[in-house]
Amino acid sequence: MNRIKQMINTREAKKLWRNKLALVALAIIMLYLLAALFVMAGGISRVTCDTVIGPNKMPGFYRQDTPEKRYENSTKKFLTKVKRALAAEDVEGALSEVSLGPFTVVNKSPAELEMLVAEVDALAGELNESPNLDIDPSLLPKIADLEAAEAQLKAPLTAWQQFVYDVSILLGTDAQGRSIFLRGIYSIKIAIQIGLVTAIFAVSLGAFLGAAAGYFGGWVDHVVVWIYTTFSSIPNLVLLVVLAYAFTNSAAKDTLLPVYIAFGATFWIGTCRVIRGETLKLKEMEYVHAAQTAGFGPVHILLRYILPNTAHLMLINFSLLLIAAIKSEVILSYLGFGVKNQPSWGIMIRDAGNNGDVVGGFFWEIGFATALMFVLVLAFNILSDALQDAFDPKHV
Amino acid sequence: MKQKHAITSLLQLFSLRFNLTGVAALILTCGLLGPFSYGQSEIVLRLPMPTTGPNSLDPVRGASQYDNVAASYVYETLLEYEYLTRPYKLKPCLLESMPEVSEDGKTFSFKLRDDIYFHDDPCFEDGKGRKVVTRDVFYSLKRMADTDNQPKSWWLMQDTIKGFDQYRKEQNEAERFDYDAPVAGMVEINDHEFQIVLNQPFIRFQYTLAMFQTSVLPREAVEHYQDRISRHPVGTGPFILEHWETGLQMVYRRNPNYRDVRYPADPGMKDDATPPYQGYAQDKALGMYDCAGERLPLADKVVLTMFQKNAPAWLKFLNKELDYTRVASENFSQAFIKRKRTLRPSFEAQGMRVVALPLLDMVYNGFNMEDPDYGGYTDQKKWVRQAISLAMDLDEVNEAFYDGINLIYDGPIPSGLDGHPEGHTAAVNYRGPNLQKARELLKKSGHPNGEGLPPLVYYTSQQAQSREMAYMTARNLKKIGIKMEVNALDFSELSEKMREKGAPFFGLAWGSDYPDAENNLQLFYGPFKSPMSNNFNYDRPQYNELYEEIRVMPASPERTAKYVKMRNMIIEDVPMIGAMARTRYYLIHDRLKNFKPEETFSNWVKYLTIK
Amino acid sequence: MWAFIIRKLVYNIPVYLAIIFLLMVLLRQRDPVTGKLGKNATQEDYISKRKEFGLDQPIYLQYGVLLKSIFTFDFSQESWNEPGVTVGEKLRTAVPRSLALTVPALGITTVISIFVAMLSAFYRGRWIDRLLVFCAVLGMSVSFLVYIIFGQYFGAYKLQQWLGTPVFSIHGYESGLLNWPFFMLLPVLISVIVSMGYDTRFYRAVMVEETQADYITTARAKGAPQSKVMFVHMLRNAMIPIVTRVMITLPFLVTGSILLEEFFGIPGMGYVLLSAIRNDDFPVVEGFTAVFAGLFIMSIIATDILYAVFDPRVRLQ
Repeated sequence: MNRIKQMINTREAKKLWRNKLALVALAIIMLYLLAALFVMAGGISRVTCDTVIGPNKMPGFYRQDTPEKRYENSTKKFLTKVKRALAAEDVEGALSEVSLGPFTVVNKSPAELEMLVAEVDALAGELNESPNLDIDPSLLPKIADLEAAEAQLKAPLTAWQQFVYDVSILLGTDAQGRSIFLRGIYSIKIAIQIGLVTAIFAVSLGAFLGAAAGYFGGWVDHVVVWIYTTFSSIPNLVLLVVLAYAFTNSAAKDTLLPVYIAFGATFWIGTCRVIRGETLKLKEMEYVHAAQTAGFGPVHILLRYILPNTAHLMLINFSLLLIAAIKSEVILSYLGFGVKNQPSWGIMIRDAGNNGDVVGGFFWEIGFATALMFVLVLAFNILSDALQDAFDPKHV
Repeated sequence: MKQKHAITSLLQLFSLRFNLTGVAALILTCGLLGPFSYGQSEIVLRLPMPTTGPNSLDPVRGASQYDNVAASYVYETLLEYEYLTRPYKLKPCLLESMPEVSEDGKTFSFKLRDDIYFHDDPCFEDGKGRKVVTRDVFYSLKRMADTDNQPKSWWLMQDTIKGFDQYRKEQNEAERFDYDAPVAGMVEINDHEFQIVLNQPFIRFQYTLAMFQTSVLPREAVEHYQDRISRHPVGTGPFILEHWETGLQMVYRRNPNYRDVRYPADPGMKDDATPPYQGYAQDKALGMYDCAGERLPLADKVVLTMFQKNAPAWLKFLNKELDYTRVASENFSQAFIKRKRTLRPSFEAQGMRVVALPLLDMVYNGFNMEDPDYGGYTDQKKWVRQAISLAMDLDEVNEAFYDGINLIYDGPIPSGLDGHPEGHTAAVNYRGPNLQKARELLKKSGHPNGEGLPPLVYYTSQQAQSREMAYMTARNLKKIGIKMEVNALDFSELSEKMREKGAPFFGLAWGSDYPDAENNLQLFYGPFKSPMSNNFNYDRPQYNELYEEIRVMPASPERTAKYVKMRNMIIEDVPMIGAMARTRYYLIHDRLKNFKPEETFSNWVKYLTIK
Repeated sequence: MWAFIIRKLVYNIPVYLAIIFLLMVLLRQRDPVTGKLGKNATQEDYISKRKEFGLDQPIYLQYGVLLKSIFTFDFSQESWNEPGVTVGEKLRTAVPRSLALTVPALGITTVISIFVAMLSAFYRGRWIDRLLVFCAVLGMSVSFLVYIIFGQYFGAYKLQQWLGTPVFSIHGYESGLLNWPFFMLLPVLISVIVSMGYDTRFYRAVMVEETQADYITTARAKGAPQSKVMFVHMLRNAMIPIVTRVMITLPFLVTGSILLEEFFGIPGMGYVLLSAIRNDDFPVVEGFTAVFAGLFIMSIIATDILYAVFDPRVRLQ
């Protein structure tokens, strides 16, 4: 602990604090961490992300859709559900079960509802005559009427519900009608979780093995070098994919465990190399020799004198691995080997690709996922640059 | 130190000479080169193929639809379907006329055409394709029995031809598989006449003869190419495989020695002014008979490109680099006004046209009838399954995952076949959502609100879409108090689960092999239980009896009545919930002529041309 | 020198054996058989298929068979997914295509990024340096996937719509030098843009170290023209790290780029490998990794030798 305190008070650390850009980056990262904590605390659950809240591929910033889509939205989904409920044997019961996102059926008698539905149907019937609503601006008021008529079927939202709904559709909906905004924010948690877990695991494993190899030399060194040469001789992406694929039918297939293991197994190598090199240098330092002559055991020396002095390298590697993990997650998920069952940026980009978003000119989902990821990775890049500048300026 | 200098000066040269005009020139050149790389003089079809394409062109090894498409360019079968006629009608292909069937329906007499030659190929003595004879037909059928060929198609022949099963057993146990050994049911009369004798008068048999698995190929080629026969087809078909880039592209060239086959002639209206077949007027209006009487194949070259993803195929089609494309559901709203299912004006203006094709297919959820909790034939068990069926919402699935373009129908018989319910709805059905009735049935079965029922374990494939569909089902079942656990497996594990009867509830799909409901009804025949095709392990004696009757009955109102009876049994017992049939939308550029797509048979590329 | 090489080779043999074993064990977590049987397959079909693939044998025997074929350079084993095609054929056709993509990409990236890095290092700390470094960081922060998706959409599809003539291929591949720009230039450009950030930063760091060296100061003091200082003095002395980095990258040229090849339909090594993994085509994955690992180990050894050649302080003992 003392060592770390010392580290914070060094000239290098002060240099870091003076780097304005790095501080901004740090603030952004804190913001992301807060968002991740908010999600973890239950702010956005997996179920919320998967809930259909409205029509599919709705544009963001509350922009109006094309007339055809607006017609479609007002005559499908909610209206269909209401009609089906009205045709059921136990109408009241069926009506109480109708829901679409936060919307439920307005508290009216079935007869009144029938009338409202008839009104919507009449308007829809008129509009349906037109072969193409998109090129007929004279019908726009009618479409607005239709939307208003359909809105009468829905029970009014409370102020809080309205606020939540407005936030949810801030960036539109995806191909299934789920909130892009909520899914993107939820993915922050996934990214941070994967980043932290794999970076902590890889750095501690790499540092431990690297320090041991460097300090003991001999056969320990040989074994460690042998292991990491083996792992690095398999192309990285092949190893990742094969590792992730090996789990496809195990009990853990739907968790993040395969991703952790795949990343953990490949990412520790870099850290291990660096720490081993540093340890070889530190081993020859006078204070280490002094500790040896004082009769301290090797474990004590490693933990007290060597590892703490490589802390800055670990820190730099840690932030580099975080970036690598976040970026690799996206690619792995995209290929179908990564995150499953829950949203992640990779999944969102994949969905946008598979659901014809880009091809059809709908950039909300891919745009938001990319932007979130870009800002986080940029912040980490700037931070790790600053760390490197401060603690390890000679590093190549 | 000298080497160092060399590298340095090289780099120096590079960095100084590298400038922007160079890049611009490069881009310009490829802009010019791009269009030049395509020939103009001959008729070239550029067609897409979804997925990575076929694995093997060996007819007995092929199984998937893509194997079928790729093989049907080069190979031919004894019978084929008439191109434009609907409902489907068989006609002779390698035969001079339709086979003569004996009184008892068991003996088929065939007469091969006299003008059929195999492709010219080095496997023949002088490199010239030889005439097709009876022995080739028998040889090709016998290859389906040889396990060394790893045939995927034996099930078509199982228990069909007299003595064939025994032949298969004997020859596979013998040291060497003897193709010359006789089979009781294969009688050679002379080089181009032969008879096939069946165990029972199976109706299915004639359809089998139009399936690509029974394509005719020469023994010389198999012996010459051995395993490589799957990459190097030698057939009798209209095209010859010129180049195959695995997973990417297949190039076919016209077979110069193809026999004189003509484009079907215009049948004209019948005497009583009724059309000769369904959709005749439309075909006529579309100019499908403009090429009547022209010699096939109409195109000189076919380039089949494989696409693992939809996006590039779609973009290439929009840029006119493909002649047609299937419209994937994700691109549907971009091209169509969904409300009317009509093409958007911007697409029409570019001369594109739509062809909609309802598929003979069945997307369903099935129960394992041997499962202790959810299987079984007692009323209580039946009510539970009916309740589950009533809780499902196929319309919602259709809306959410297929843009609402699928067809939902009751029972296992797809639209367009005998026995399909009128209006796609059976009189008695358990189609959801009807939560009240579902709850009532659950109560009646002694499980009010799902009490006492263990979680229902559902197995489906690992694709994102199947997974999402499963979650939707789970949400719906929760409403009546039944907990459903979703297990998404990859295809091989899922098949394994089916084989060992390990899945209480599962989501699968079945595409018909031939246009007869018998193909779907056999999925519920007791003796075909897992590990064979009956994944439901449905086994009801009455049903089995009916199946044994219908499989030897020719089409007739009595047979249709039996189909309906069987269908209703399935609906009542609920071994499966569903079903849903996909509709395929094709978009074509107006240069492509005579395009009437079909997925039950695939040898129609010979009729296509570009104008 | 030869003793050094042989010693290194012997040292790496266990590494090689371990790679093959690791991969084999990982692959065999899956069942490759069922997917390759048709519909209505029986248990007998399943068993006979397993036997045909040799999966019924104990793992050490399978390992032995595999090692034997690798060490005798025998790549005649057939692909499981495409009967009739040997692993050797697949490698022979796929590797040149990957090289046609990766070699130009590496060449262009290296040349441009060294140039940019020199500029940056030369003006260290001034606005041009800051701008270049920031651009590199910006470029590094965008996902590879996004570059590809938008590259394909705008670079190939939209460009063609605007110009009315195809400039770059959207998807597909044809061999031949004249076809190269049409099918490969866009993926190469995307690859260059993606790796520019990393390379520029690396080379800048190398150059910065060199600018602080005494000889540069001396050269400048002597009044040597700036361009000469940059290109002759600085670059020459930065050669060792540059060559090392390029050397280390060489084996990866063979693996191609899985994502680029998959998106643009280029049947190179990445494409073949990914579909082999997806289709449980074990012989292809194993054969390919064996070749790659061999190249990788070779390049490590070669790098060591190069060090010794360029830097007289390192000795080949």
